[in-house]
Amino acid sequence: MKSRVILAALFAGACSLPEIGCVSVPDDGKQPALATHVDDWRDEVIYQVLVDRFANGDVNNDYKVRPGYLARFQGGDWQGLIDHLDYIKELGVTTLWISPVVKNVETDADVDSYHGYWAQDLTQTNPHFGDLAELRKLTAAAHDKQLKVVLDIVTNHMGQVFYYDMNLNGNPDINIGGSGPLPGAGSQSTITRITEFDPDWDPRGVQAFTSLGNAGRAPVIFIQDPSINRVPPNGILGTAAAYHGFGRILNYDDEKQRTLGDFPGGLKDVATEVPEVRLQLIDNYTRWAELADLDGFRIDTVKHVEYDFWKQFATSVRQRLAPQGKNKFLMFGEAFDGNDKLLGSYTQDGMLDSVFYFSQHFQVFHDIFANAHDETQQKGTEQIQKLWADRVVNYNTQPQPGGTGIPASKSLVNFMDNHDVARFLFDAAGDKPALRNALVLLMTEEGIPCVYYGTEQEFAGGNDPSNREVLWNTGFPTSGDTFRHLSKLARLRAKYPALRRGDTKVVYSTPNVHAEEDAGIVAYERTGGDAADQYALVVINTNGRHMSTTAAGAKAMKVGRPGVTLVDVLDPEQKTYAVPASGELRLPVAQQQAMILVPQDQLKP
Amino acid sequence: MLGPGTQVRRSSSLPDRPDRVVSSSIRGSAAAILAAALTLLASPALAQEQPPAAPAPAPSVVVVPAAAAPAPGTGDASRADAPVTSDTSGPSVPGATSPGLGRGNEPTRVVTEKPSDHEGKFEFGSYGRVYAASDLRGGTGRGSNVVAFGPRIVDEGSYAELELRREDKWSERVKGRVVATLALFPPFFHFSGKTDQAIGVRNLYAQGTYDKLTMWAGSRMYRGDDIYLLNWWPLDNQNTVGGGIGAPIYKSEEAPGRTQYETVLQLHAGQQRLDNPYQSQQVPVVAPFGFGTVDVTKLDRPRTIETVKLTQFVRPGGGAAGFKAILYGELHQLSAGTFNDPLTKSDRGLPEDSGWMLGSQLTYFTGKRDTYASLVLRHARGIAAYDPLAVPITFALDRTTSGASETQIALSGNYEREEFSILWAAYVRFFRDGSSSATSTQKYDEGAAVVRPSVFFGDYFGLSLEGSYQQRRLAMLQPGTNDQLNASVAKFGVIPYFSPSGRGSYKRPQIRLLYVASFRDSGTRALYPVEDVFAQRKTEHFLGLGAEWWFNSSSYP
Repeated sequence: MKSRVILAALFAGACSLPEIGCVSVPDDGKQPALATHVDDWRDEVIYQVLVDRFANGDVNNDYKVRPGYLARFQGGDWQGLIDHLDYIKELGVTTLWISPVVKNVETDADVDSYHGYWAQDLTQTNPHFGDLAELRKLTAAAHDKQLKVVLDIVTNHMGQVFYYDMNLNGNPDINIGGSGPLPGAGSQSTITRITEFDPDWDPRGVQAFTSLGNAGRAPVIFIQDPSINRVPPNGILGTAAAYHGFGRILNYDDEKQRTLGDFPGGLKDVATEVPEVRLQLIDNYTRWAELADLDGFRIDTVKHVEYDFWKQFATSVRQRLAPQGKNKFLMFGEAFDGNDKLLGSYTQDGMLDSVFYFSQHFQVFHDIFANAHDETQQKGTEQIQKLWADRVVNYNTQPQPGGTGIPASKSLVNFMDNHDVARFLFDAAGDKPALRNALVLLMTEEGIPCVYYGTEQEFAGGNDPSNREVLWNTGFPTSGDTFRHLSKLARLRAKYPALRRGDTKVVYSTPNVHAEEDAGIVAYERTGGDAADQYALVVINTNGRHMSTTAAGAKAMKVGRPGVTLVDVLDPEQKTYAVPASGELRLPVAQQQAMILVPQDQLKP
Repeated sequence: MLGPGTQVRRSSSLPDRPDRVVSSSIRGSAAAILAAALTLLASPALAQEQPPAAPAPAPSVVVVPAAAAPAPGTGDASRADAPVTSDTSGPSVPGATSPGLGRGNEPTRVVTEKPSDHEGKFEFGSYGRVYAASDLRGGTGRGSNVVAFGPRIVDEGSYAELELRREDKWSERVKGRVVATLALFPPFFHFSGKTDQAIGVRNLYAQGTYDKLTMWAGSRMYRGDDIYLLNWWPLDNQNTVGGGIGAPIYKSEEAPGRTQYETVLQLHAGQQRLDNPYQSQQVPVVAPFGFGTVDVTKLDRPRTIETVKLTQFVRPGGGAAGFKAILYGELHQLSAGTFNDPLTKSDRGLPEDSGWMLGSQLTYFTGKRDTYASLVLRHARGIAAYDPLAVPITFALDRTTSGASETQIALSGNYEREEFSILWAAYVRFFRDGSSSATSTQKYDEGAAVVRPSVFFGDYFGLSLEGSYQQRRLAMLQPGTNDQLNASVAKFGVIPYFSPSGRGSYKRPQIRLLYVASFRDSGTRALYPVEDVFAQRKTEHFLGLGAEWWFNSSSYP
């Protein structure tokens, strides 16, 4: 006791010295009070960040980084994000979507888990990015700047935490033989390999075999390799009962394979139908929202999980967070699929608030905008109109109970590209006018725009991992043409409610993509709905070769504001256009240019 | 060289914290501190000038053969065939040796060193401690400290130094000394069964004194007073290869009843380049001739350290009691370098770094039975916040240690009276790394307080009790809670012992039984991985048998 008193006195005396002070965890690193930070998710612009690639704010978590090798850790962290929130604010985006935060298997097959999708422990932070206090500091700092934070989570699979002991020898064999063509395109070899880490789908479950033939289900053996954090997960996820064990998906159109198969790369498919597993996943992930005052989840690989799971997951998360003051918690899923009906199926009653609008990525941004340089490939803008018309067909038109308050049909997460596909500029062969034109559609269409980090710096990487460039190598300039263009679009979206909350009416589209008068033109009005009488008309010429007009012969664009003078707020000169009493408006638009027209009496400074 | 009132007390332990290395130690007591500073200059002349409170050294056992004359028939030792030296660096001339030598059948020759024309002697000294202990659960006793300088009891482990020293005196004004100290690190053979004993060279230097000026060069433990209970040198503790110079720059006239003043100035510069990628790296390259590879030095950036120490002694009335005040400073420099990252096989620049430290000490001693009290203050910045035998593990964004700091306040003392003594010590330390993160394991406050009262039973037996409390407060959240991670340990120990050299806190050798219980809180347990039993156990036991000794050391007179 005497020792304790002496020590307490020494501490007290020394801590009172201003030069010394006592060490403490900052207040914003402690448990935050949960709150609802969002009014209407359509007001938000999401900025997707791969934490490892955005900014390196603390060199002390640069464990085994390999600068320049994009399949390896590069050193980005949450402190780097905190340090550059002003850059993000200047860009005009309002919500951060950060890559997964949980502890991962460090590396596998000479590729690192820099992306965060190889979960090992759903309760611990990934030390490459920081500790819990730093994650909280990030969300607190973001909220201070009116930015929201959405966390990327994965319920479908865990990392490469076990192998199938197919030859029953107790060793994780990378190659145990086999024959037949490799599944990869272009393979000429008649020999393929079977790996116990990532064996092919087998409807019986991955099988063991010996020289005498099949030997039944291959045992699931959890790996104990602490050097790369490849150790069994906590709780039921550390048992074979928590996994399906059917091997890697070969046919994505086979629903059974899609929902029960391992994700390529040996990512073990979790048996999400098992009640204990569901409860652990719900608890582990909801806890992150509670610990760090998160504003939403972006959920990975939703099409690989049974529908029933999403009802229970989404409902449970909402019910647990709401009493704590956290409402309008956005949950949107990623189904890497162009099937619009399939995407919409995850927004059924009680399920997710929204999904990643992958069908639009393929049919609009890729087929129309990215192909602007190639008229043989480019599709007409009528494809946009058809796709958008199906929003109310394929997606839920009612808000989820206890959800964001916005139906999925009006709050799809729109994106041009992301970390799973080649960047827009890669597909567009470096066509920067096409990029800026696509950004106009992204930022003015109905839904929630989502911009992949680096778009503003005109990154043009190909497929994974080339599309995961290191942003800090750019020096974070804010003067580039695309940065300023995107920033301007974000300001316009924030300024004009019609661009955020208005309903959509396509007033002109065309199948034409060649030399026709209206080739590449699309025009749509945003008005009504939650925007009331606010009005905006967006006209885009997706054609990359010539000026086009919102008319073709006798056919002309007819807008809903006859007699009104419209001002092009995207035009630095803010030219005006008088709408005749007929409502017909023949607007010439230069190649790969756009107009955002608002009524003169709604013009804002 | 030991004499009454001048006790050597030293020990050592291996580095136990990345930011702080604890190495060997000396305890300061009243007269011991005084004698220590004087003897740092290692001047017999100075020793003769020691005040009454620090009696002249007791007669040493002279192990040098006195007046060793050449053996009959061997002639002069300077003959080429006289193997009087182990130095193999001299020229070897084929045929120069006697044809009769080396056949193995000639009679053994006895070669005697030429008689010295001056006084000289060999000395042997040692420090050591060896323990065997149980945790009362079937395992070995285990250290339980959570702070860098916690109580040495239990945590110090076994360790020993063997010192061989040559002392020469050519005249009253010119003297010299060569010191070689080997340190033995555990585990020892009888415990591990392994013969590859880890040995470190802790001293290997030569020192000369001309009048009052003393100079030395070599590899040396160079340090001041320690806090025995914490096994710690709170002010100065250099372990470098380098050299130094020192002298008393003022000494008042001695007269009965007059207050005595003495001022000593010491300077030192040294360097070390740890075998660590932070300072040193060798990489293989294609051999310029033939096949294979040769190693080249890619990274070579020793830390260079300069120190200055000004010591003032004041003995009111010329008595045994007095004060010792020290001002001490260090400068540290580390040059820029290039490191080849083995992961990427590419070069990465490492920036230059620097730091400084300022410290002071004020000690009062009674001159009787090692009674003293001491206060040490110290503040370091940059690379100087890190012990020279440690490598920083966290950095600022520019990969320097800029922004790192260490602030320490340490108190210690000893009081002895008849059959009773009490040793005590306490410190607080504030360590901040240079990292940009607000939360880090390398940002913490820590402290410890320890008291060891002893009762002597007769002249040779005693019983010590020890109580201590230590705490480290980290700028971290305790996992699973919303609280700051605070780790604390309380200890209570009982130490009956036999002390053949007599009663006193600093009398050695001491053969002991010891039992220590450590009470560990949840924060302490949280510091360990869940697989470690220390993550679960609230109480640790240490029941041990051991011995500690010291005698005749040059570094710690």
